[in-house]
Amino acid sequence: MRLNRVCKRWGRGPLVLRDVDLTLDPADLVVVLGGNGSGKTTLLRVLAGLASPTSGTVTGRPAHVALAPERFPEGVRASTRDYLRHLAAVRGVRSDPSPLLERLAFTGEVDAPIARLSKGNAQKVALVQALQAPPGLLVLDEPWSGLDVSASAVLGGLLGEARAAGATVVVTDHGGDALALPGVRRVQLGRGAAASGVEIELARAAAHLDALAAAEGVREAGPRGDVVRLVVDASASDDVLARALRLGCSVVAVRGGRP
Amino acid sequence: MIALLRLLGADVLRSQRYLAPALLYCAVLGMLYSGDAGTVLPAYAGSCALIFPVGAWLAVVISTAEDPVLRTITVVTAGGWGRVLAAVATLTAATVLLFAIVATALPVLTNPHPYTLADVRTGLLAHLVCGFSGAAAGLLLSRPLITRTGVTLLACTAVVVVTFLAGRSTPVGLALWMLGHQDVSVPALLGLLALSVALLAVAVVAGRAVALRR
Repeated sequence: MRLNRVCKRWGRGPLVLRDVDLTLDPADLVVVLGGNGSGKTTLLRVLAGLASPTSGTVTGRPAHVALAPERFPEGVRASTRDYLRHLAAVRGVRSDPSPLLERLAFTGEVDAPIARLSKGNAQKVALVQALQAPPGLLVLDEPWSGLDVSASAVLGGLLGEARAAGATVVVTDHGGDALALPGVRRVQLGRGAAASGVEIELARAAAHLDALAAAEGVREAGPRGDVVRLVVDASASDDVLARALRLGCSVVAVRGGRP
Repeated sequence: MIALLRLLGADVLRSQRYLAPALLYCAVLGMLYSGDAGTVLPAYAGSCALIFPVGAWLAVVISTAEDPVLRTITVVTAGGWGRVLAAVATLTAATVLLFAIVATALPVLTNPHPYTLADVRTGLLAHLVCGFSGAAAGLLLSRPLITRTGVTLLACTAVVVVTFLAGRSTPVGLALWMLGHQDVSVPALLGLLALSVALLAVAVVAGRAVALRR
């Protein structure tokens, strides 16, 4: 699956995603990182097919996609059993969710309305509906939030199993649980503009700011504290770094970029 | 599609929000046919005028019964907005069909006038034209196109009022006029039915386009 120069704005608002390039292969585990409002949830909605990009293209989305939203709503009248059975049927599979619920240490009553479950248990229902049939693409928004320690570890294992079955897994994660998983790829979203760009911090660069800002592929250049911070297109990052070194700058940090 | 219809239908039944339009429908039908409702076709015009707003109300109930966050899970699971909105329209149309059958059959049993098979066919067609038109309006004026309940209510009321004021220039007005004047053309009714089904399809396509942009 490929995202090519994807931009997204909601209504007439500002661009939330700018020129996101991303290639996802089966069994990939991608963690989308970024601060509040950096467009993480928007990127997940575009990946899941809920929203179309304002410009750019999304190609090769797998036929079966599963989504677990960040916050399972309150007041859901359906019981856990009915809800999971209905969703499995929509996906065209018959599956018994009890082993998955057990592994995640779901402690609620499966025939009670989901509204009566604790936040943690409701979150587990949201995860089980996404994991109960093997999807080609698994999109999970903050799946670790609200889970206890043991369930967090189990979730890591379940994601590993989904990847072994060929699923591409994309998650957001404030807590850092995802970064501890093997084979994880990071996608850093900046404040809109930095999306999928490479962030470079340079020392001894203040005098060369204009020359650096004019280099091809540089989207942002400006002082930050006593260093100069650049945001450059991933494809141009090597050239910009080489140029900075020739100018006598010193590289302090390089972050993000096309994984 | 069947599984999707069952999921959406179960949610509508659990919400119990279908009860208000259903009770209103039954109550008004009961009043219409409590005594002699008059000649066959003009009597049908009464319940056709009723099924138009009730169809819109049912459409709003069915398209908004599911929580918006759960709707995103359903959409992703089903494979896109188009499928879910088509299922919502299908479920609405099936409910309207049920309501239309009730309104068409009830007077055959209670109204002391002779009903021919042709009358019943005309009645069912006219109810479907009015019910589907109302349903299309309800779908166009609720989620995902209009997300605020108050705006949906005002817009639906406005459409119903304007339709009744506009006379024969709308499919509903024309169907009501034909029944009221006992001047029915079955091919014309079939044409209006096709038009109202097309309006339902427009609501699905427009809803999908707006949802993807949101």
